[in-house]
Amino acid sequence: MNCRERVLNRLAGKPVDKIPNLNIIMTFAAKYVGVPYKKYITDYRSLVEGNIACCEAFGIDMVSTISDPYRELYGFGGNIIFPEDDVPMCTDFLVKDYSDLKKLSVKDPLKSERMLDRIRAVELFKSRLSKSYPIQGFIEGAFAEAVDLRGMNGLMRDLIEQPAPVHEMLEICTEQVIRFAEEQIKAGADFIGVGDAAASLIGPRHYQAFALPYEKRICDAIHKGGVRVKLHVCGNITSILNFMPLSGADIIDVDWMVDFGKAVNAFAGKCSANGNFDPVSVMLRGTPAEVEQAVTKCVEASNNTTCISAGCEIPKDTSFENMLTLDRTLKN
Amino acid sequence: MEKVLEQIIDGIVKFDQDSIQERVKEALAAGINPQKILNEGMIVAMGKVGKLFEEGEYFLPEMLVAAMTMQKGLEVIQPLLMKSGVKSAGKIVLGTVKGDLHDVGKNLVGMMLKGAGFDVIDVGVDVTPEKFVEVLQDNKDAKILALSALLTTTMPNMKTTIDAVKRAGLRSKLKVMVGGAPLNETYAKEIGADGYAPDASRAVGVAKTLVG
Repeated sequence: MNCRERVLNRLAGKPVDKIPNLNIIMTFAAKYVGVPYKKYITDYRSLVEGNIACCEAFGIDMVSTISDPYRELYGFGGNIIFPEDDVPMCTDFLVKDYSDLKKLSVKDPLKSERMLDRIRAVELFKSRLSKSYPIQGFIEGAFAEAVDLRGMNGLMRDLIEQPAPVHEMLEICTEQVIRFAEEQIKAGADFIGVGDAAASLIGPRHYQAFALPYEKRICDAIHKGGVRVKLHVCGNITSILNFMPLSGADIIDVDWMVDFGKAVNAFAGKCSANGNFDPVSVMLRGTPAEVEQAVTKCVEASNNTTCISAGCEIPKDTSFENMLTLDRTLKN
Repeated sequence: MEKVLEQIIDGIVKFDQDSIQERVKEALAAGINPQKILNEGMIVAMGKVGKLFEEGEYFLPEMLVAAMTMQKGLEVIQPLLMKSGVKSAGKIVLGTVKGDLHDVGKNLVGMMLKGAGFDVIDVGVDVTPEKFVEVLQDNKDAKILALSALLTTTMPNMKTTIDAVKRAGLRSKLKVMVGGAPLNETYAKEIGADGYAPDASRAVGVAKTLVG
């Protein structure tokens, strides 16, 4: 059974030889292949090399183009700083007030440098891997993109103080990320990851008003392209567990703060839960025995469609021994 | 309790930004002293907001807007508090460590601490250990250094900062508290912090404990 068959079987609730290992690797993969992070996220060949090398070495069952949240923002004209070997940063917000929305226009991903780089990563994965691995493209969720445009502090206040222009901004974001997803689907993606990070911070009422409707439209558009969705919302999603499956996502990542059994139950019959041990205290700082224990605990809380991974990105300095232990535990 | 104090509490909890300053002025006009307005109005209100957050009724947007409402009210009484020589609960130097621009947690902690009567010096984001040391040298009466980090790649800079503060000879008179999504109590202890707060609401309790 190859990785692609393993993942697709699992999502369908069919037998598998190992529960899929769907860990998110970004800085870890760059370090593993000895590439500075700036190069990893600006040269698709490095990203593809790092992903394939890590998936093969550590039994990860899905290659992914996930890298940083600023592909779309760069297209909008965002001012991004790329440290030589660290994660990029955005120092200024494009939407200082809502009159700035007039200046925003949806860009053609094929003509936008950083979006195009990710599309090329999907193409290269496709040509190198044939059908052995599922290939995940990646986009920001509309809400996360709105945070990138407006800033977290501003947007959080706007949800209460001026909700109408927030929706206008979310419309623009939705259109942009759908176009980006469509190009990655054309390039050969089997899954599109949707990162809607800040949606965990706003509670069920605002989630249903400002995040869920747009997630649903994005998932619908991706499904129209014949591709599945993996929704990733960092942080404690306990309060929105019952609403997230309404997005239509096929896999929903569950961060470590959430009771995994609760998530598995909330998603049962609707989508697969993927999670959810602590990437820092278990993977980065834990012993192999602690990794084994944490993975086993998640497996015990699983149903027949559940996948396993840390709740969020594997930290850069995680030991190879812990990564190998993780996959060995799944094989056993 | 005076009705106007109840209105101030209600105004903050329900983020009535338009009328909070009017309510505070009404309280002053009714002869209620500024310290009572702070202690029995605003601090009580932010305590209620924190409780609603811990109970899962309020989330980040509500916390931020309630804190902004409190800040507006505080602007009216702050000059009076200073004039009357009212002591703050303690001075806190606060910032996000080097390499980290994520400031929403730090800002919220700052507002909650101000709402609890602390004097907060917000050094900003992406603050180098040298800058923290410089600010602490300029604020020798600071009782707490509060450090924030969201990323696993920047959290080691908390230890680098604490070490720099030690080398500068400032650590012994200072308590250090840390917070941020990738941290936990164990990590906080290992890097030599005195306190760890899992969220902005609980940061107030930690700060109060640290200043005794």
